[in-house]
Amino acid sequence: MSTSVQYLLKRLGIYAIAGWAAVTLNFFIPRMMPGDPVSVMFASFRGKLKPEAIEALKNTFGFTDEPLLNKYISYLSHLLNGELGISTAYFPERVSSIILSGLGWTLLLVGISLVVSFIIGSLIGMIIAWRRDGKLDSILPPSFSFISSFPYFFTAMLLLYFLGFKLGWFPIRHAYNSDLIPGFNIEFITSCLHHVFLPASTLIFMGIGGWMLQMRNNMIGTIATDYISFAKSKGLSQKRIMIWYAAKNAILPIVTSFGMAIGFILNGTILTEIIFSYPGQGYILFQAVQAQDFQLMQGIFLTITLSVLAANWIIDILVLILDPRTRK
Amino acid sequence: MKLIFKHILYVIIGIFSFQQCTDSTTKETYNGLVVSQEQRASWIRNFNPLTPGGSARWPTSAGIYEPLMIYNSMKGEYVPWLAVKHEWNMRNDVLKLVIRQDVSWSDGAPFSGKDVLFTFNLLKKIPAFDVRALWTYLESIKLLNEYEVEFKFSSIYVPGLDAIVGQTIVPEHIWSIIEDPVKFTNPNPVGTGPYTEILKFQKQVWELGKNPNYWQSGKPKVEKLTFPAFPTNVQATYALINGEVDWAGNFIPAIDRIFVDKNPDKHHYWFPRAGGSIFLYPNTTKKHFDNKAFRKAISYSIDRELITKVAMYDYTVPADITALSEGMSRWRENKKRKDSWNIFNREEALSILDSLEYSFSNKNSLTDKDNNEIFFEIIVVSGWSDWIRAAQIISRNLRDVGINASVRTYDFGAWFSKLQTGDFDLAIAWAEKGNTPYNLYRGLMSQKLVKPTGEISVLNWHRYGNAVIDDLCQRYEKTSNQSVIKDIIFDMQDIFIENLPAIPLFAEPSWGEYNTSRFTNFPDEHNPYAQLSPNNVPESLLILVELEPVK
Repeated sequence: MSTSVQYLLKRLGIYAIAGWAAVTLNFFIPRMMPGDPVSVMFASFRGKLKPEAIEALKNTFGFTDEPLLNKYISYLSHLLNGELGISTAYFPERVSSIILSGLGWTLLLVGISLVVSFIIGSLIGMIIAWRRDGKLDSILPPSFSFISSFPYFFTAMLLLYFLGFKLGWFPIRHAYNSDLIPGFNIEFITSCLHHVFLPASTLIFMGIGGWMLQMRNNMIGTIATDYISFAKSKGLSQKRIMIWYAAKNAILPIVTSFGMAIGFILNGTILTEIIFSYPGQGYILFQAVQAQDFQLMQGIFLTITLSVLAANWIIDILVLILDPRTRK
Repeated sequence: MKLIFKHILYVIIGIFSFQQCTDSTTKETYNGLVVSQEQRASWIRNFNPLTPGGSARWPTSAGIYEPLMIYNSMKGEYVPWLAVKHEWNMRNDVLKLVIRQDVSWSDGAPFSGKDVLFTFNLLKKIPAFDVRALWTYLESIKLLNEYEVEFKFSSIYVPGLDAIVGQTIVPEHIWSIIEDPVKFTNPNPVGTGPYTEILKFQKQVWELGKNPNYWQSGKPKVEKLTFPAFPTNVQATYALINGEVDWAGNFIPAIDRIFVDKNPDKHHYWFPRAGGSIFLYPNTTKKHFDNKAFRKAISYSIDRELITKVAMYDYTVPADITALSEGMSRWRENKKRKDSWNIFNREEALSILDSLEYSFSNKNSLTDKDNNEIFFEIIVVSGWSDWIRAAQIISRNLRDVGINASVRTYDFGAWFSKLQTGDFDLAIAWAEKGNTPYNLYRGLMSQKLVKPTGEISVLNWHRYGNAVIDDLCQRYEKTSNQSVIKDIIFDMQDIFIENLPAIPLFAEPSWGEYNTSRFTNFPDEHNPYAQLSPNNVPESLLILVELEPVK
């Protein structure tokens, strides 16, 4: 077990370096964009704000002409103290409180879509591999690959227009009915689920294909192994072999890619949230980029990086538990 | 396995049908007047009317708080508001404002000239609040009595009146004890405006109730305003079509078909052309564009009728030769002019180019005296589809006279930085707006505003300077005599038409839509008491106090 702990600590060290690299890129890349927050804000008034206002804006946000390196050092030291700074687009709100306001909804959306698409995708993958060359096996993989090659916003727009706007089955915006007071009661929770349905469906549709194909390929590999033939010859039931003998082993590599998938799905969430007015991080990031709000962009990139790294570390632990071969 | 799918289906149907029982429709119904002005994913509680850059919620600066006077762009006059009268002294360096007497703050405290004095002194103390740079020409301000305030100018600057009377006033008894007013979010505002009570504030929706102590008795007639968060134009448009929004200021393509036809009795829009114009800016530091005859040739070759029809959905009209829209038409000097470069005339364009010794090479493209082919780029903001289409039409028009002009789109920040530093050939952009054409002509032609290429220039991106304009500006800034002002503007106009520093394309409409199912008395072309658009702060306050619920 001590070697496992050593392994996990080593991984943690690697993640720490990756985290630092990401934080550094988060700082420098936004600043390479042409333009600056003050002139973008000024320009958004399209001639209605007098040019004199630029000085006032600079004064408000406390912009200085300090060299970039000094700014970077103070950014790092603030970060270590958990200080993310003040947003310019949502002035004078703290970046941390803006992020917290959206994080919960993004986690709900990402959580639901990731879990549901993983479960449905792996189940379908398992079944079509078990009965390969069946009807399902010839229809589902190509049709899901077709669907998942759509851009996220396209699927989102289709669902929004037909199921939301035309048929009116689902709300087309927000995370819950605005006449409800957020709380832990059945009415509020069903409203949340009703609202998350369309955005989550978008992400689920796009995600299923990947899981399904991976699971199918892994399953086909495990089905060919000797212990499956052995189990069959022992006369175990088909269902038991499929789930407990074949699928249990086939799913191991997929757990590892689960960590990677979090990164991809966050990317999809941003567009989906914008289209469905879902009050998560996605639209906030979009606005931050448009307004060149460096502080807010850094904060959101940081939460994305940290969540992907944390998820991967948890997956490392999970794999250790699930796969005895990784424990020496 | 089928069982699992069945269960999932049950859950989905369950959620769906439960919702169908609890609320019969997925359309949200609000009982206040629903306004869609800001596009945000979630609301941040900020009601500080003094922070620049629009970080406070609409209508904080003109709704919760109020300015001293409101300029009505449809009537071309100041509407007395918290101040009832202004008076210049003989030399135009002392301004006296008479403050309204029967006004109280929403917490019941009386409003007086002391609050006005406090607000202006706060601007002096905190430069971040002095968005209009008032204190660059103000020397001092004092109370003559409780309801008369006197502003002394350090240098004569009559246009400063606009900035002074446009100032939003905050209560001394509350703001004098705020430690850091710049970072103050003012969560529970106390104002003089028609709506001051925050009834509800959530991330998705907030509500603003009327001021119990409003000084205009009997107003406002609408009990409360509701603001759902719409992050994008698409979402806001859907809500408007669905009848969920009562008043909006969105750009909607093909509005008659998309919006009005859904409910022709109740769905209305009015896009008055009261603002400025949209221009094609030629970078006058570049070869060819430094010649006014060449600029005129370009202007002659542009088919503005086609642009307004195809790119602007017929919402607007081709630009006037004075570059002033209908809202500013009282400033147009009607006289016979030798120029008519705002009218599409390809032959004229070709003959000017010919007289400038440009010639056609064998490939149907124009070359200059030194046999160099002429090649330009038109830069536009990516995603601004109306301007992009306009640029494409211009590009085709220019090709017809042999000029090769390609359209390039850039992200907003990148585009604006190119514009400001003069790193472009041709660009489509707006121009300075103001109550008189002074701001427009000064911004387009003042020599003092010209910065070298590479340096950021806030105005005059095309870098055209004319010393006569600076003299005229100086004279304008020192007079309050209306007929002198008019003569100065006419002189500036002649210089503009003669030199064509920037090419006006079409008048910029102000977007405004409304739904009369629940509320009425919106302004329209039959009753143009103000510009309809809620985006037009503080004029939108004139509408806020006039709206009424349907009986």
